Amino acid sequence: MINRLQRGTLQIPQLVGFMLSLTLGSIILLLTLQLFVDINSLLEKETDVFAQDCVVINKNISVLRSYNKEGIYFSEKEIDELEAQSFTKSVSPFKVATFEVEAQIKGASGMSMLATELFFESIPNEYLDVPLDRWVWDEQSDVIPIVIPESYINLYNFGFAESQNLPVISQKTIEQVDFDIRIKGLGGRGSFRGSIVGFSNKINSILVPEEFLDWSNQRFGKGPIQKANRLLVEFNDPSDEAILQFFNAQNYSINENELEASKLKFIFKTALSFSFFIALVIVILSITSVLLSFSLVIQRNVEQISTLYLLGFSLATIARYYRRVLGVSTMLALLTAYLITYFIHDLVASSLATYFAWKPEEDFLLIGAIALFGVVFVLGQWKLIRAVKQVIKA
Amino acid sequence: MAGHLSLKRVIPTYMSAEEVLPSEVYLQEDVRLQLDKRYLLLAQSGDGKTSLLNILYGNNRHFHGSVDYPWGNSLAVDSVRKEKFSYVFQDLKLFPSLTALENIQIKNALTGHKSEEEILGMLERVGLKHKAQTLAASLSLGQRQRVAVIRALCQPFQMLLLDEPFSHLDAENSTILVGLIQEELEKQRAGLIMTSLSPSNVFDFDQILKLSL
Repeated sequence: MINRLQRGTLQIPQLVGFMLSLTLGSIILLLTLQLFVDINSLLEKETDVFAQDCVVINKNISVLRSYNKEGIYFSEKEIDELEAQSFTKSVSPFKVATFEVEAQIKGASGMSMLATELFFESIPNEYLDVPLDRWVWDEQSDVIPIVIPESYINLYNFGFAESQNLPVISQKTIEQVDFDIRIKGLGGRGSFRGSIVGFSNKINSILVPEEFLDWSNQRFGKGPIQKANRLLVEFNDPSDEAILQFFNAQNYSINENELEASKLKFIFKTALSFSFFIALVIVILSITSVLLSFSLVIQRNVEQISTLYLLGFSLATIARYYRRVLGVSTMLALLTAYLITYFIHDLVASSLATYFAWKPEEDFLLIGAIALFGVVFVLGQWKLIRAVKQVIKA
Repeated sequence: MAGHLSLKRVIPTYMSAEEVLPSEVYLQEDVRLQLDKRYLLLAQSGDGKTSLLNILYGNNRHFHGSVDYPWGNSLAVDSVRKEKFSYVFQDLKLFPSLTALENIQIKNALTGHKSEEEILGMLERVGLKHKAQTLAASLSLGQRQRVAVIRALCQPFQMLLLDEPFSHLDAENSTILVGLIQEELEKQRAGLIMTSLSPSNVFDFDQILKLSL
């Protein structure tokens, strides 16, 4: 009977309007959040061993500098200046080996199959994403872990191997091959074994652990190197415009492409944040509008509600019908939003999956929809009870 | 012995002492209203009859002084209104969008006090059976008054509050309604407080309380 009485006080168009705007807002909100998660997992799925938000810089080599080599080194003052920039998180110089290196691959017969002259450099461990258990060296170690540029394999596979009629090799194969490493310097000669543990397409160098380089420079080379010709720079925000401006002004060379992934990520995040914000506004507006319209319903029916209270109906009983209607319409709106979002995301994900080896995190949508329902539901119920309470206390 | 309501120095905040004095209820040190007795509250318009009933019913908190109930002052107000007090409001407070029968049923559904037959029987006694399915909005004032009284009888109570219940009824209909109320009062062994503008003895009142002299 009380339901019948209260049903007459609701306006269906208002309720439908609420459900539509909540559905729309929730779709955009959920979709934005899901895309955010997707893009993040896509962009973070980097194969490079080199840490993100980091670049290698060097000075441009001019005709003049090719005569006077001193010009390619960074001075203490220049390093300090770079460190002082607001976009800089950290600066580390490359360490260079001051001895000659030769690598050999031996065949089954012990004959040398391939020999090449090399150089070694090193950077602090925190800039590399190589698993730490493989990136260690001490004087007792037999094997020196090495990281080489990805382009070297490509050079070999698509250039050298092709012209010499040699077999091609994969990254996995090369990681399983040990090399003989021979070192020749002022301190004499040394023989080691080397193993490739990772690849980088960001650092154009052959890297070994810092511990090995320090030790071997001391042992075979000219002692610790003071001058750096290349610097590793880690940024707070790689999309900061000041970075390129600064490097251009200083005439430092930086590979702009290296900043692209970070820039892209930043642009995506900004765009998604913006649409997230819009969606949030729509959801908040729809919640506000329904709460307002329910408040209006209650205000319009102050007489009815206070009479029900006078007759002995409890606050809970009086609010029950409105609470149910609000609860059910919230649930319907979010269920619809979830299903539509799931469908849209499925389409996007399957098209993304044709470009990238990537699996979307599907649980997220459901959790998001349930969380959103929880928030809207609790807020709605609280507001409704408060409005009814205000009427009967008046 | 049934308990009593106790009013101590009660006066609505919106009335002055000059307005209410001399009164046999307002601002009196201790006015006791027995739950098995019948009282007539006699006063002119604007002397606070409805205010007093509302104060007792817990519906008007704008008063000084105190009211003590035999069931304790902490009983939830909705329980009091379902079990202790029944009230025929002066403005009746029917739902215009419900029929006469539904207006009664909505209260009875809360208490389960009467059967459908009993309700229809009461409507028949007051001559409104043919109006059972008519919307309250379409009933005359006198018809609405009868519906409101029947609704008030559809619950257990210890004290019935009647606020000028027969103001729109002819003598014949008033007599029928008085009979109906008498029966319920006796069945429930309940008391009664009725307000009136003029002296009356329709319920063999135990005491007449004058709100203004």
